[in-house]
Amino acid sequence: MYRPSTGLLFVLPALIVLAMLIAYPVAYTGLLSVTDGQGNFVGMSNFAKVLSARATPQAFWNTVYWVVGSIVFQVILGTATAVLLNQTFAGRAIVRSITLIPWVVPGIVAATTWAWMFHTEFGIINYMLTGPGIIDQPIGWLTNRDTVMPVLIAINVWKLFPFVAIMVLAGLQSIPNDLYEAARVDGANFWEEVRYVMLPQVRPVIVAVTLLLVIWGLNSITIIYAITRGGPANRTLITPIQIFRIAFENVQFNQAAALSVMFFAVAIAIVFVYIKALASQPREAR
Amino acid sequence: MTKPLLILATTASALAFSSVVSLAGEVTWWTPNFNEPRARELVEKFQAANPDITVNLEITTSDGLPQRVLTALQSGAAPDIIDVQHGWVNGYAQNGLVIPLDDVLQDREDYIPAALDYVTWDGKLWGIPYRIETHAVIYNRGHFTEVGLDPDSPPETWAELVDVATKLTKEGRSGFAITGGGEVGNTIFRSLPFIWMNGSSMISDDMTKATVNEPAAVEAVTFYTDFFRKGLSPASTLENDGTANRRLFIAETVSMYQSGQFDIASIREENPDIDIGVMRIPHPEGKDTAAILGGWSFVVPSDAQNPDEAKIFLQFLAEAESQGTLTDTFPARKSAMELPRFNDPILQVFKEMLPYGRPVPAEKNWVQISQAYFNGIQSILLGDMEPQEAMDVAAEEIQALLDE
Repeated sequence: MYRPSTGLLFVLPALIVLAMLIAYPVAYTGLLSVTDGQGNFVGMSNFAKVLSARATPQAFWNTVYWVVGSIVFQVILGTATAVLLNQTFAGRAIVRSITLIPWVVPGIVAATTWAWMFHTEFGIINYMLTGPGIIDQPIGWLTNRDTVMPVLIAINVWKLFPFVAIMVLAGLQSIPNDLYEAARVDGANFWEEVRYVMLPQVRPVIVAVTLLLVIWGLNSITIIYAITRGGPANRTLITPIQIFRIAFENVQFNQAAALSVMFFAVAIAIVFVYIKALASQPREAR
Repeated sequence: MTKPLLILATTASALAFSSVVSLAGEVTWWTPNFNEPRARELVEKFQAANPDITVNLEITTSDGLPQRVLTALQSGAAPDIIDVQHGWVNGYAQNGLVIPLDDVLQDREDYIPAALDYVTWDGKLWGIPYRIETHAVIYNRGHFTEVGLDPDSPPETWAELVDVATKLTKEGRSGFAITGGGEVGNTIFRSLPFIWMNGSSMISDDMTKATVNEPAAVEAVTFYTDFFRKGLSPASTLENDGTANRRLFIAETVSMYQSGQFDIASIREENPDIDIGVMRIPHPEGKDTAAILGGWSFVVPSDAQNPDEAKIFLQFLAEAESQGTLTDTFPARKSAMELPRFNDPILQVFKEMLPYGRPVPAEKNWVQISQAYFNGIQSILLGDMEPQEAMDVAAEEIQALLDE
């Protein structure tokens, strides 16, 4: 019975590193959230302060809008692209490589470039639309209350749909040919193949990728912060940016920690529900 | 997820700065990139006279500097001297992150008083100001002539400014560009002086009451935001900061905008065809103009390794001649202002504006207060709210911060 303890010895270094990098910050954030700047225990007052801020509920709903909006289009567009790239056509390898570009471009570079492209005055998008007379006045894409969030979601979709496409494509390629042949013998057309062969087969991939996208969506700062900083008038303020603002612009680390703790709880709950809901689904094709 | 991220970011940035390890007799000085060549010159000069003190110059970038300085100050591994904006000093002092510098200051009466007030808290001096500046209005003299206005008599009052801006605005050209985007400070610097001129403020002098929804303040906010609402400021106002306005001015699509003298050089370089004029910021009829006094000070962190040597070097940096060399705009000492480099006629109006410069309030929640106010301005520009309503909302939020 000494084998387990030897094993423990071997994993210990990794465990210590993990503890330092994950457990300690998590615990310390928890501690920060119930203390003040001098380290005195203040109970729930940081939570109360941060919850009473006008921006907090607005940021929460913006986050929901942002995450749901992004994921729906990322998954639909990504899956469609994967199905397309799974067909045989000339130049497929090149198209596959090109599709990856948005995902490979560093987020901050992409965000800054898009911000310029959408600029009311200097942006190429308004230039291209006003030139041939499609619109007569330049549109304030990033300053109009109705367009700013959809534009940011579109940029986020553009940035991440290739990731979905590649993952789903990998799933599609592992489908044995017999299934298609059997379907064809039964007289299935292309759309029926997609619906009854491809999608059920790649469901586990889509499920896992969606979970990743939820986590990334909840954590994303780069695109919004680089383009609008949460403005105008908090219209694109999402909770991670609010946390960043409270901590690094207002220097209220304790309130930022309190908001982080609550956000963490909400995120955990969403992930938990999601996994639970999927675990109860029947697992066909296993 | 987010929690570890937050802490990791702090840790990572702290690690990145742990190169700040000073040996005895070494002084580490952080200065922003725009100071680099002149700072090197000063370091060489100092080293020649003080061979036993080594100065390590580290160059910072002004983008994201507040976060970087704050992280360094709180990490316990701070440099010995840091260049920071006047407005940040008070917060550091109140949190015990920097040490008092009364023993370093010489010739107190030679300093512009408002600059010293800025970095004084609790009766002590927490920074040595070396650079001061205010905004003025930069305008395109050619555009004035084009529409039949005399470029030598620019508008002086609010009414005249609106009138001139209206005349200058035509096909693809905006008369007077305001800011409504970018970092909060851009819009504070450009709109708060109008509130001051009109005899009001964002918060009362004793910092107990939000006054931003007083009639005089709302009148000033209305005046400011109307430039956009009446189409005299570019359509992109809500995404424009000071830099964007300068670019539009260089592209000759904007005829007037508020900025500091640091813009002059890049306008001259990028579009030498523009005949640049500078006017004082117009004021309400019968009242004085106003501006925010900006600029930079040196601070010594509480965790500095060699504060004594740092103070010796600081005394050298605070000399009139050193200040005159280092500053990108104006020096904080009156005697340094006599240096030839400040005699360029285009600087004259900026110089005239200096006495009207005021410090922003040293309230500990100032960042959040300005954010609340800025959200109000953006709501007006978005067309969501009327000025009175927007400022009522901002005042409510500011009052809550003051009551904390």
